[in-house]
Amino acid sequence: MDGRLRAIRVLAVVGVLALVAAACGEAAEEEQPPEEVTIIHGTTDPWQSFDPAASYDLPSWNVIQNVMETLLRIPPGGDTPEPGLAESCDFEDSQTYTCVLRQGVTFHDGSTFEADDVKVSFDRNIGIADPEGASSLLGSLDSVEVVDDSTVTFHLKAPDATWPFILTTAAAAIVPSDAYSATEVQADQAGQVIGTGPYEVAEFRPGETLVLEAFDAYWGDAPVNARVIVQLFDTSSALKLAVEQGEVDIAYRNLTATEIDDLRGQEGIEVVQGNGTEIRYLVFNVEKEPFDELAVRRAVAMTIDRQAVVENVYNGTVDPLYSMNPVGLAGHIDAFADEYGESPDPEGAAQVLADAGIETPVNVEMWWTPSHYGDLSADEYTEIKRSLEESGLFSVSLKSTEWDAYTEAAFTGQYPSYQLGWFPDYPDADNYLASFYHSDTFLGNNYSNSQVDQLIATEKAATDQGERVAAFEEIQRIAAEEVPIIPVWQGDQIAAVRDGITGVENTFDASFIFRYWLIGKSA
Amino acid sequence: MRTLRRPTHRAAPGAVGRRGAAGLGRLFGPVRDARGMAKWVLWIGLGITVLFIVLAVFAPLVAPYDFDQYRNAEGIRFGKQAPPSAAHLFGTNVLSTDVLSRVIFGSRTALTVVVIAVVFALAVGLPLGLISGYFGHKLDRVLVLVMDALFAFPYLLLAIVIAFLLSETIGRGVMSAAVAIAVVYIPQYFRVVRNHVISVREEPYVEAARALGARPRTIIVRYVLFNVIQTVPVIATLNAADAILTLAALGFLGYGIQPTDAAEWGYDIQRAIADAGSGIWWTGLWPGVAIVLLVTGLTLLGEGLNDVLNPVLRRRRIERVDLPSREARVLEPGGEA
Amino acid sequence: MAKQSTSLRTYALTRLGLALPMVLLLLTLVFILMRVAPGDPISAALGGRLPAEELARRRAAAGYDRSLVVQYFDYLGDVARGDFGQTISDNRSVTGLIVQNGAATLELTLVAMLIAVGVGTLVGLVSGRLRDTPADAAGRLFGIVIYAAPIFFLGFLAQLVFGKWLGLLPTSGRASPVVVFTMDSPTNLFIVDALIGGDMEALGDVLRHLVMPATTLGLVIGGVFIRLVRVNVLQTLQGDYVEAARARGVRERHVVFRHAFKNALVPVITVMGLQFALLLSGAILTEQTFNWPGLGSELVRYLDNRDYIAVQGIITFVALVVVVVSMLIDLINAWVDPRVRYA
Repeated sequence: MDGRLRAIRVLAVVGVLALVAAACGEAAEEEQPPEEVTIIHGTTDPWQSFDPAASYDLPSWNVIQNVMETLLRIPPGGDTPEPGLAESCDFEDSQTYTCVLRQGVTFHDGSTFEADDVKVSFDRNIGIADPEGASSLLGSLDSVEVVDDSTVTFHLKAPDATWPFILTTAAAAIVPSDAYSATEVQADQAGQVIGTGPYEVAEFRPGETLVLEAFDAYWGDAPVNARVIVQLFDTSSALKLAVEQGEVDIAYRNLTATEIDDLRGQEGIEVVQGNGTEIRYLVFNVEKEPFDELAVRRAVAMTIDRQAVVENVYNGTVDPLYSMNPVGLAGHIDAFADEYGESPDPEGAAQVLADAGIETPVNVEMWWTPSHYGDLSADEYTEIKRSLEESGLFSVSLKSTEWDAYTEAAFTGQYPSYQLGWFPDYPDADNYLASFYHSDTFLGNNYSNSQVDQLIATEKAATDQGERVAAFEEIQRIAAEEVPIIPVWQGDQIAAVRDGITGVENTFDASFIFRYWLIGKSA
Repeated sequence: MRTLRRPTHRAAPGAVGRRGAAGLGRLFGPVRDARGMAKWVLWIGLGITVLFIVLAVFAPLVAPYDFDQYRNAEGIRFGKQAPPSAAHLFGTNVLSTDVLSRVIFGSRTALTVVVIAVVFALAVGLPLGLISGYFGHKLDRVLVLVMDALFAFPYLLLAIVIAFLLSETIGRGVMSAAVAIAVVYIPQYFRVVRNHVISVREEPYVEAARALGARPRTIIVRYVLFNVIQTVPVIATLNAADAILTLAALGFLGYGIQPTDAAEWGYDIQRAIADAGSGIWWTGLWPGVAIVLLVTGLTLLGEGLNDVLNPVLRRRRIERVDLPSREARVLEPGGEA
Repeated sequence: MAKQSTSLRTYALTRLGLALPMVLLLLTLVFILMRVAPGDPISAALGGRLPAEELARRRAAAGYDRSLVVQYFDYLGDVARGDFGQTISDNRSVTGLIVQNGAATLELTLVAMLIAVGVGTLVGLVSGRLRDTPADAAGRLFGIVIYAAPIFFLGFLAQLVFGKWLGLLPTSGRASPVVVFTMDSPTNLFIVDALIGGDMEALGDVLRHLVMPATTLGLVIGGVFIRLVRVNVLQTLQGDYVEAARARGVRERHVVFRHAFKNALVPVITVMGLQFALLLSGAILTEQTFNWPGLGSELVRYLDNRDYIAVQGIITFVALVVVVVSMLIDLINAWVDPRVRYA
């Protein structure tokens, strides 16, 4: 959009706001003009990579969603895709999806956005197939066809009603074809990370800071700030002190429950909470002892005390979870509560083990990872170990490794049971259930049930919501019976922000994208 | 110049090897005779060290609860991060375990690991130093070079890498921590022993033994070793003090023992740093004070022993000698004045 | 005089000659450590995540399928060229990582050393001068106790008191995020950069962040200095020339300050060199406690991620630095004290 036109738009918006404030009659706080605002975001989540082909973690995806864009996107507070870089998209038939692209969009390096860029972005993601990447999300894609400069057609391998959702994820972010290699992962440096989004990478010190600056020639609504500095902290306690002393404006991910409690009453600080579909769960490798026995898995499901974890470790800031399809998404049922009850039932578990002729206590090896999921993982698994051992049925040995080595071992089936977490790629039950229960997932836990695979295919192809919900519910019931995974808790998005910071509650929605462009500062 | 450490009563070959009461009495003579600050330092250090040894040995009896106990006999959970109270004199930590109990059991962990580490380092460093010092030549030069290189390297870096590699191979635990610490201190023992041996081997009685045709092994074991070994208590004690700090550092960084196996002071302080941000002071203060106390005690003990056993620095009791007066001597029964 | 400079040169050459085997030995040690348990770095870091052929291809490309001996000489050659490779986990140049984070560690350790020398010599001088008085006992006890306190414990107390209760000082990072971004840092030594840029506000911010970590580390190292300086003072006060000065009727104050103290401080340089390894060890703990982005915290991070190329690079660099510094100390010592050269 023409710069002058955009400036007029900005002025108009500001002017209207001022009028409204005046009309309200109270001494409203004036928003600082966007050009002067720098937002400092403190976090303990380290970034993996800013290349959509090489990352599948929340902090990296957050950056990608601010610096790059996708053909479709989830609006703040919404849950269905709307046009983004594409003006309109439609299914021509169940396996063909065509998008008409927006005109007049430029990348940070000045090149024009065209259909070629779309094809290259998807092809390279699938081609590079980086182990840290999300090419698995694009599994339905067969090929991308460039119809003309402004039209692209996606040919899918099988009917997939979730494809529009997948187009909103960071795996589908669009990069310039001339600057990004088809075979190599792009370096994470200012000037090399290029997208069409409202921010460009001004500076990156790996492991320390990331600086984003508003992109002048952005086609859409300008951000309400000029610059975002993301500062990485080693420990949550350091982050907490930093937000208390005003060194950072926003402390988002991962403050512990104790720290949040301490911050709640403090002057100058506001704790913002938004609905969340972040979950934690325990995975069983169903081919490794002792979890190759269904009875053992069912017994654990009956003994594990979710409430203890929620109260003692998280001070009640999360909720117990009874299904791998979280509360808030269509088709959720408390499958595990239905199957095993809401509270632990050690006698029932003892019975199950006795019936199967399994000697107690059962020796169990449980793995967890120290920093990736926040500092409380150690305590969470200590609590789980306690509840299992209190029943007298299990003897638990806890082990841990750091993320890189952890995923390598876990996803290749080396651990009998292991901790994992999940953030939604898109707000649909398919993203959870298909990712966990399909025969062919990243989990490495060797679970395979052809009936479940069939149900997944059904819900992917179905266009009728009722049909999909029915399929989701059936999958959850089978999953509760066979227990390849135990859901533990579901959490909200929580941030501690200094007074005067606005917009955080608007970006806390089901998409889990932290939209820096909505965050402003009042004087 | 001759070594300053050799107390004279050890010089004669006859006394060496005789472990009679006379020998022991002579050993403790300097301790009994010591006066002044050296004596205070020795006894205070000894007192503190013995206190921790008692705590370590009798931990299950002394500590109110188990190190990972989180609820009482009725099954009611302790409070989480509860401030000091009658039930929990030092409060509880984030996992609802009693801080006082963890401090007491922590002394058990610390002393166990450190004793193993010191014994191991001695077992390797002492013989190597003996052999290297006595035989000299190329073997000596190579060993000295290797040991100097190890000695110059930042000790914690070495300990971390070795602890990490060991944990990958033999698994994390007391042994991996002890071995990692031991490797760091072997060069120190080697150096001191070697230097001592070099000076002792020129002593006349050693030459005499050689002239008499004694085999090197006899000479080393009978004469040199017994002479050298008296320096060991001081070094071992000061070493133990340092080793406690190294173990705590490893525990703090996460390369120590498995936290679920036993209580460890360094690990507790690492968890406590997060608490400092919320103003919770009791979870970190007490383990830290324990470390400071034990290390200070061991250092004082070591320095005290050094002051007492080292004849140069030793301060003897000075008895006033009363010479009889001149008048008294001259008098004779029935004699003239 | 000509003879003196010749012998200094001779000494320097001899010393250099001795340093080379030391370097070789350390490098061999590092190589063995890094290959013994983990196998080759690529398998260790990426093992199960890549298909077998891809793994084999990457290993071959990096040269890990050749014999250990060949790899050893390759490693030596790389070090000689200053090429430490790329990290596996985040594809950074290891040399760049060393430069960037090494500067942070350098800044921390230099200031800490200043504090250590200051505290140590002050207390040590007083303690030695007033031998066997309560002041001496207090000084010695202080030295022992402060060294007995782990750095992370002092850090904990400092964060509690100055960070939380008094709210005076920040407890992490080298500077506020805004300052880090806005300040030009050509040398990456923030104090220097702030002074060059004439930015007093940034300087203040940097100093505020530096106070707690540097003081914590400096105090602990200072504890060691106290003991050493005290012993030196004791020895010099017993020295012949001091007795001679006293006999000549020089005032006690002159004796103490002009003669004894000056000579007692000469070995301080040696002492500083000896404490260098201790300083580096302490720096690792300080960086972890205060979130200081230096080489120590990077080492821990990469070690946890099994990124052995990064770890190997950092340890190699530290080994080289240690050898260079000890050689420099010896040379300075020889220059200052001629007796050393003839030893």
